[in-house]
Amino acid sequence: MEIIRLERAEIGYDKPLLPPIDLSVRSGVRLAVLGPNGGGKSTLLKSLIGLLPLLSGKRVFSSGRRPRAGYVPQAHRIDPIYPLTALQVVLQGRYGRIGLGRFPKASDRRTAVAQLERVGMAETARQLFRSLSGGQRQRILLARALCGEPELLVLDEFTSDMDPVASAALLGEVAQLADRDKVSVVFVTHEISAAALYSTEVAMMDARRGLFAAGRSQELLTAETLSRLYGQKVSLERNGERTVVFVESGRPT
Amino acid sequence: MSSSISFGDFWALFGNAIIAALLVAALCGYLGFFVLLRRLAFVSAALGQISGLGVAFGFFLGSYFGVDPHAPTPVYLDPVVLALLLSGVVSAALGNVSRVERTSPESLVALAYLASTALTILLLASPRIVQEAHEVGDLLFGNAVAIRREHFVELIVVALVVLCSHIFLFKDLLFVSFDREMAQAVGLPASKLELFLHVSIGISVAVATRAIGALPVFGFLVLPAGAALIASNSVRGALGLSIGGAVLAAGGGFYLSFVESRPTGPLMVACAAAYWPLAALYRFARRSR
Repeated sequence: MEIIRLERAEIGYDKPLLPPIDLSVRSGVRLAVLGPNGGGKSTLLKSLIGLLPLLSGKRVFSSGRRPRAGYVPQAHRIDPIYPLTALQVVLQGRYGRIGLGRFPKASDRRTAVAQLERVGMAETARQLFRSLSGGQRQRILLARALCGEPELLVLDEFTSDMDPVASAALLGEVAQLADRDKVSVVFVTHEISAAALYSTEVAMMDARRGLFAAGRSQELLTAETLSRLYGQKVSLERNGERTVVFVESGRPT
Repeated sequence: MSSSISFGDFWALFGNAIIAALLVAALCGYLGFFVLLRRLAFVSAALGQISGLGVAFGFFLGSYFGVDPHAPTPVYLDPVVLALLLSGVVSAALGNVSRVERTSPESLVALAYLASTALTILLLASPRIVQEAHEVGDLLFGNAVAIRREHFVELIVVALVVLCSHIFLFKDLLFVSFDREMAQAVGLPASKLELFLHVSIGISVAVATRAIGALPVFGFLVLPAGAALIASNSVRGALGLSIGGAVLAAGGGFYLSFVESRPTGPLMVACAAAYWPLAALYRFARRSR
């Protein structure tokens, strides 16, 4: 079942980044957004969940209402001046459900603690968010997004501050969490291998060259499409579920 | 002020001014928490000047309509209404400075500060409002020892409305300040909350400036909250220290002014400034433990 769809949508801040695009996110899908830096990936995510208004076109909610969304930004974007504990940050994920001007209840706190435990960060509940490492902060922000029991989880390069091992582990956990809770996940990543391993669908875009394509990962993640997307010769080697990516530097396509 | 009068006489003369200063301190100590977290310190300074411009402009307009500055004024010419309006509008606009291209937020704040200061001085230099220049001067440079009854009432009403509404919206305002995009993603009206926060800061600064002067208001907005954020590792702790510290500095400033016969506003600010080295020492001592 489709939960959100962009129809002939023009995205961007003042002027459209791309010609009108169509993009559908179905329930339970894991959609990876790939493309070079400055290609408009974050703009696409923000436009999808309504953080940015569309310049034209429509955002269609099949259920007739906006899906509950959880958004995980890059941790370094968060200002470290705030004296908030990890638990207080996670509890923020409930605020949309609690409502404006209302106070969190004990059940909201229990949900926040449960989400902290779920991402393996229960012991940090009372620690200051700003005192945690980059990887720990990302887990806290993931717990916050899950705390609102989202139908759509949007991750904007959320593992970019992490080493490849931690990044792969966290993406794997997100995939498991999403499968268990039937949550749709849209994630921006620069790791093609991670996209191949964890996504069921992929959107490729480069606003500077007006490129946009979306479809099933198995069909779209080919050496040819990736080479066109990045403007470099890319080759893929599949090893069971895993995909190894080789970029031949200095050989633009 | 002189120490030759008894405290009873002192209270009879300055009781309302003291209560007003304590109330402004509590209000600014609270709002200062947001002002510093949102990195708006100099916005509050600019708002003090803009408030002065509103008052000067009100008197200036009144002179054209033949309004006696010491008689009841029509609402649309009331200097307080104009100051509130101007501060609210500019505060809301300054909340969006980060979205203006090809300029930096601090340069736009500087523009607001400088333009309003220059315009106020030009208006004060007009021969049409010679009588009122003293009143606007009090606003710009501070006069914490004399407060008119109507300004006192305005201050109490604004402080009550702002503090009561913030009790209910605190968690949402903090969330929007901390991570606007996630707040918006979970369905909170982020733009409206930010507008409400900025307008409540703008109106509070306008009324507080009118009551006790621009210098102590700026001081109470920035200094106690800054020291509290250095000393405390929790939201409640920082808020408590900021509000308590501002109130203590207001009381301390008045007391020192009484015993030392020195100007009250600067003494209140000096007391509040003393928190910074104390907070830094406390932090250093905690780390060394």
